[in-house]
Amino acid sequence: MKKKFISLTTCLILATTLLIGCGDKTTSTNEGGEKNTQYTIGISQFAEHSSLDNCREGFIAGLADAGIVEGENLKTMYDNSQASMDQASLIANNFVQKKVDLICGIATPSAMTAYNACRETDIPVVYTAVSDPEAAGLTKGNVTGSSDVLPVKEQLAMIHKILPNAKKIGIIYTSSEENSLSTIKKYKELAGEYGFEIVEKGITTASEVGIAASDLVSKVDCISNLTDNTVVSALQTVISAANEQKIPVFGSEIEQVKDGCLAAMGIDYFALGKETGALAAKILKGEKTAAELPFITSEAAEFYVNTGVAEKLGITLDPSYLPQAKESFGN
Amino acid sequence: MLEVRHLDKYYNPGTISELCLFSDFNLIVEDGEFLCVVGSNGSGKTSLLNLIGGNLSLDGGGIFFHGEDITKQKDFLRHRRIGRVYQNPGAGTCPGMSILENMSLADNKGKHYGLGRGINKQRIPYYKELLSGLNLGLQDKLDGKVSSLSGGQRQVLALLMATMNPIEFLILDEHTAALDPKTAELVMELTQKIVNEKQVTTIMVTHNLRYAVDYGSRLIMMHQGNIILDKGKKEKAGLKVEDILGTFNEISIECGN
Amino acid sequence: MILLRSVLEQGMIYAIMALGVYITYKILDFPDLTVDGSFPLGAALTALMIRGGVNPLLTMPACFLVGGVAGMLTGLIHVKLKVRDLLSGIIMMTALYTVNLQIAGRANLPFYDNNTVFDNAFVSSIFTGVLYPYRTLVISFLLMLVVKCLLDGYLSTKSGFLLRAVGDNDSIVTSLGLDKGTVKIIGLSIANALVALSGCIFAQQQHFFDISMGTGTVVIGLASVIIGTGLFAKVTLFRITTSVVIGAVLYKACVAIAISYVEPVNLKLITAALFLLILVLGMERKKKVKQSA
Repeated sequence: MKKKFISLTTCLILATTLLIGCGDKTTSTNEGGEKNTQYTIGISQFAEHSSLDNCREGFIAGLADAGIVEGENLKTMYDNSQASMDQASLIANNFVQKKVDLICGIATPSAMTAYNACRETDIPVVYTAVSDPEAAGLTKGNVTGSSDVLPVKEQLAMIHKILPNAKKIGIIYTSSEENSLSTIKKYKELAGEYGFEIVEKGITTASEVGIAASDLVSKVDCISNLTDNTVVSALQTVISAANEQKIPVFGSEIEQVKDGCLAAMGIDYFALGKETGALAAKILKGEKTAAELPFITSEAAEFYVNTGVAEKLGITLDPSYLPQAKESFGN
Repeated sequence: MLEVRHLDKYYNPGTISELCLFSDFNLIVEDGEFLCVVGSNGSGKTSLLNLIGGNLSLDGGGIFFHGEDITKQKDFLRHRRIGRVYQNPGAGTCPGMSILENMSLADNKGKHYGLGRGINKQRIPYYKELLSGLNLGLQDKLDGKVSSLSGGQRQVLALLMATMNPIEFLILDEHTAALDPKTAELVMELTQKIVNEKQVTTIMVTHNLRYAVDYGSRLIMMHQGNIILDKGKKEKAGLKVEDILGTFNEISIECGN
Repeated sequence: MILLRSVLEQGMIYAIMALGVYITYKILDFPDLTVDGSFPLGAALTALMIRGGVNPLLTMPACFLVGGVAGMLTGLIHVKLKVRDLLSGIIMMTALYTVNLQIAGRANLPFYDNNTVFDNAFVSSIFTGVLYPYRTLVISFLLMLVVKCLLDGYLSTKSGFLLRAVGDNDSIVTSLGLDKGTVKIIGLSIANALVALSGCIFAQQQHFFDISMGTGTVVIGLASVIIGTGLFAKVTLFRITTSVVIGAVLYKACVAIAISYVEPVNLKLITAALFLLILVLGMERKKKVKQSA
């Protein structure tokens, strides 16, 4: 009897914790009164990742610009699913239970689980850092957001300008990352216009980056690094393998240039988040519904350069090109 | 008839610790014979059983069941004709399953293990009858897990399970060694009863010289991979422990125990 | 309510996977990592079939079969090629990664607008009004119940007895004149069939497949089995499979509690702490039972 008692009590306690705890938070937001000016949003981020963090900060800044300021008339709840799909789903349902006014999903899996959790509610979902919203099925329904698709054309133009004699561009990607696959497809489509040939190397885990890089550097004139999460996590390996052969690595983001890429033409994730925040503000204020707003793609491709790396590799940069850089690093 | 012909077996062949266990070893066990095997430690008694059962592979020679060469046959196929009880009482039963489940499992040996019900209710009275013959009260604990039984009870159950079905050979690998003297006695009596009833060809390895003398129809003593004493039916009938004790002590001392 | 409902839904769906892990881990004593690959295998096949217009009900037997094949291959690698258990699982898990990508054709495949076992005309006609939000819970509970009863039934057949015997004491299977390797292969097949089925149902609940769906599946499965069997080991009221199901729900509850109360950075730590707490509670009891026995 006693055994059953303990077992059953454990279950009961867990169940009530789930029920009561959540009840508390809901009432506090509901009894806040002025529902028109007081907003609660939930942010579900898929993984710990500096680009995604920048997105989140940009998103909150974008809301603030539109007069929805955290701590004043905005309460944000933030959860990170640590790259686990089932947790992403629980996080989204948790936000739904707390009756937030909007859920922001950062990165594709979080966006998709959030959309799935909200489909039977009237909670709008705004996503960011989803590279292909069309393919992810996030273009219909009470959902909108922004795509972080890379400015491939601008990247190719930049490489052509810095290395006019280069023929082959190497790219390492993870076969499981949809954004990398779609970017490479675009690279191949556009490479011909600049007389480039794309050499790709697919990997599955971060530990394979080193092998792929040392194989690639003997076959190409330069390496272009995308926003592939796995490859980015081992970017230093790629850079040191390439620099040993005096081959430059191009990046897709400011952080990558700081880390030793020669130059980058990329999206500013903070700016992307900010634009997304503006989108969310329109929905919160009731100006437009999410269904009415099409998703946006970051227009501004920003150029970053690292002159220190150029010097080390013995590459002379066109002096007229340098001032176009949004930021320039010298390490 | 079970034949072991020109058997060679080495341990760690090709290494510095190479050990020749058997070299041109021969043994014939006639149908219906109850062979007791005694010998010093490391004399190859248990290895012999493992070679016959297929748990060990041999390096030369052959093993024949009724003239059929089974040297290359997989262990589980050989066990379709062999019933076997091990020294460890846990090895012959499934501790996590009930007595009834264990007996049902053994009862189905030789038949198809398909999606039919695991327990045939009509057989339960038969199991109870088998168990009540032991006077251990096991017939009232059919649903109890085997893990709750004592070592002796488990060994008795293992013996029953090994002999429930028609088998050609019964192999007993020091099956009383881990039991207290009283239980060991009981197990030996049961062994004798089963062997008598089934007229099954039996090989029993034992450390207990008295059992080897009191039971069985033939006795061999092994030492360093050789048979140094072989007492057949007539000679064995009048055999006493004292008659073989001398030889046994001699080989045991040689081995340092 | 929504979070509790979501915990129960996921608990039911993951319980099917946990039952598979129960077969390998508890019955066969085989630490099978294939699970991390066979769970998304079910999800990938489901996404492909549903997008292709196949009746969602058919995805379940299909995933069960394909998962069974995956488990069988793990078994063959282990038994016939004599590769260690852990490694066989790792090899299959690695291979399945590519297979899953090939099946789905991409790393992420949504099917928001297609019918699933949870969303179709028949379901909508039964679950009307206030009942509608509970359809996923009810259906996943029923599916889990069917799977659990079938598994219970199987474990009491002759073949099921053998499966239990091989994990308990594999020399007995040899003694019965049967190949213990074959029995292991059957066990691994059934286990991974269940895991793939669970992945199939999870994908239908989430309306998409993603290649990373399988990451950590084996951990969730093991945790569910250990919590369930640890906490309810001596409660004779339940069958052991029932304990595993409850274990899966409790594990999900731990995660959900951590999500709703804890800062994101501390999430995993708190989940681990809750997990440990439940285990210790279970152990405490076991000791008492032993003393009184």
